[in-house]
Amino acid sequence: MKMKKIMSAALAACMVVGSCGTAVFAEDAYADYAGTTISVAAIETAYGSEMWTQVCEEFTALTGIEVDLITDKNLEDVIGPSMQGGEYPDVIHLATGREAALTEQFIKGNLIADITDVLSMTVPGEEAAVSDKIAGGFTETSLTNPYGDGKTYLAPMFYSPCGLFYNKGLLEEKGWEIPATWDEMWELGDKALEEGIYLFTYPTTGYFDAFFYALMYSAGGAEFFDKATHYEEGIWETEEAKTCFDIVAKLASYTNPITPAQANDQDFTQNQQLVLDNKAIFMPNGTWIVGEMAEAPRADGFEWGMTALPAVADGGDRYSYTWFEQAWIPAGAENVDAAKLFLAFLYSDTACEIFVGSGAVQPVLGIADKLEGDNVMFYSIYDDGAKAAMGNFAAFEAIPGVEIRPVFFDPVNSLVSGDMTEDDWTAGIISASDQMRENLK
Amino acid sequence: MKRSRGRSAFLFSCIAPAVILFFIFMILPTLNVFRMSLFEKGAYTPTETFVGLKNFRTLLADANFIRSMQNTILLIVVVTIITFAFALVFAAILTREKIKGQNFFRIVFYIPNILSVVVISGIFSAVYKPENGMLNSIIGLFRDMSDPILWKGEKLVMVSLIIAMVWQAIGYYMVMYMASMSGVPQSLYESASLDGAGRIAQFFQITIPLVWTNIRTTLTFFIISTINMAFLFVKAMTSGGPNHASEVTLSYMYSQKDAGLYGYSMAIGVIIFLFSFALSALVNKVTEREPLEF
Repeated sequence: MKMKKIMSAALAACMVVGSCGTAVFAEDAYADYAGTTISVAAIETAYGSEMWTQVCEEFTALTGIEVDLITDKNLEDVIGPSMQGGEYPDVIHLATGREAALTEQFIKGNLIADITDVLSMTVPGEEAAVSDKIAGGFTETSLTNPYGDGKTYLAPMFYSPCGLFYNKGLLEEKGWEIPATWDEMWELGDKALEEGIYLFTYPTTGYFDAFFYALMYSAGGAEFFDKATHYEEGIWETEEAKTCFDIVAKLASYTNPITPAQANDQDFTQNQQLVLDNKAIFMPNGTWIVGEMAEAPRADGFEWGMTALPAVADGGDRYSYTWFEQAWIPAGAENVDAAKLFLAFLYSDTACEIFVGSGAVQPVLGIADKLEGDNVMFYSIYDDGAKAAMGNFAAFEAIPGVEIRPVFFDPVNSLVSGDMTEDDWTAGIISASDQMRENLK
Repeated sequence: MKRSRGRSAFLFSCIAPAVILFFIFMILPTLNVFRMSLFEKGAYTPTETFVGLKNFRTLLADANFIRSMQNTILLIVVVTIITFAFALVFAAILTREKIKGQNFFRIVFYIPNILSVVVISGIFSAVYKPENGMLNSIIGLFRDMSDPILWKGEKLVMVSLIIAMVWQAIGYYMVMYMASMSGVPQSLYESASLDGAGRIAQFFQITIPLVWTNIRTTLTFFIISTINMAFLFVKAMTSGGPNHASEVTLSYMYSQKDAGLYGYSMAIGVIIFLFSFALSALVNKVTEREPLEF
């Protein structure tokens, strides 16, 4: 008995000494997290993984919280199996719209922690609150608030304006103007085809999401976009919807015909190459294209250019979709509080500077001053009169055989090859949209 | 008595590890596939709802699934027939005939089998490239190619998959047939040729009947491996596109899992399991012959 008492006293003493020891390293504000280790899983994209290592090191230096970092190009395959076994990373940086749709599955299953309070948290090491740093609009879209309940579940990360990319040198050489309306676009298409150049190509049909969102905005504004992305009854039979479908169908007839045969995950760079080789003028893409095709051969005088989608009518609005990634905390994470602190840190000046050094641009105010090279031109698209389009299709309960991309965008391949008509395409959308509406979350 | 009990205990302890491992890693997961097919569940959701046979009823009305099943059956039938015919003929030539560079040909035919499917897909992607791909360049010598043939386009994508799969599989089956053909006694061929049987008659009258057991085994292999390999080829070569024209059952199952329909994809798994089992049994039954001895 006596022995036991001595032992427990000794253990208690050890604990006191131990906690004092770690408290020396961390500032007082983070004393609660002493000895905590969080695991962070981040997708490795064109920006590389080095920036994540640096950000985690800075975070540990500031707060004393250790970070176990996992980065991989196929992050889903690395963290997926252990998550099925109930072991979750504390922070996951993985955008929606990927083929494995892991983030979407977590949204559909209500498996993401509410991070609304992160917005009012002070950025670690700074005075400002997170919400004061994030640029306007980024935390009000369905990409961050998927359930439309005013709560934020996903933190907006690295943004990139999407638009039509082209060879500036080619247009200058031929004396062609950037089309401001779709009518001008078709005129340019006819002119270019006479010289053996097709008007359009696309890497894969997956790139049509950003394109189609911007098109919906320019055809019917924010109200139409909101109704359409919530599958409102009869929305696909309206004039605005018809305009969108007609434009895509007509664009398909102006598309380089070899595009669909290469529009898969293995050969999509061959389609991007068509623009570099002056075999197609425009393609929908994001700012990462410059890095992705940096090593590729190109036509003489090639120079990247980017434009917003043409307006539907003369004098109409032109839109560029703002694509951004998301970071989130799984509801089953062990260290939710420390994870929230990490999310807040991602908007600190230190983190933003590390990210932008690798080309990843955080959606924070004043970031434009830190950009270099082609990015200055790309990110100034909104200063040049284009409006920003944001948001995506609302989440719905999983329905067998019915998904956004196969219903809305994959058929574009068949429109180009002539294996499907516009009417078949829209009929498929209408019937799937009815099911999506019934299963809205 | 005592000795036999000891012997039984020894035998039991010898086979127990294998049986236990087999049960845990093969039987249990398979049973779980059947169980999960009766539930509705996301891959990451902790909850599951029992839905009975609902997943199967939905499957039968799912046009995408039916198309993927059609593609799978097309591949099983066509790849099997073409590979079987080529492998058998090549094996007969390489064992029976004396040709220069016999070993060289054996190696050349077998090499595709050593390569990973991803490498083969890379090779064939280069061969099928619409512009300056090997195939179109060769055809371009004979006709105008300003309108290139789209090998991975919607109309030809299945043909392109079949060519790649046959190319990959021939060597493996050829080696299997060669092994059993070399066991056929030379004397049978000698006496047959004395009786006036030509090479083709010998092939059909002697070689095929005597390697029949081997052929039956490989037919089962064909069914199972085509289903499996089709998934790898589709994933690495076409991603199921364009517009799902090359989707096969396993790739469709995979995509449904990613869509958050774990139970539904397990139902597809059950269908594939039963289908391949039934087809193998059927083929086995149909090809049953009195075994010939030599």
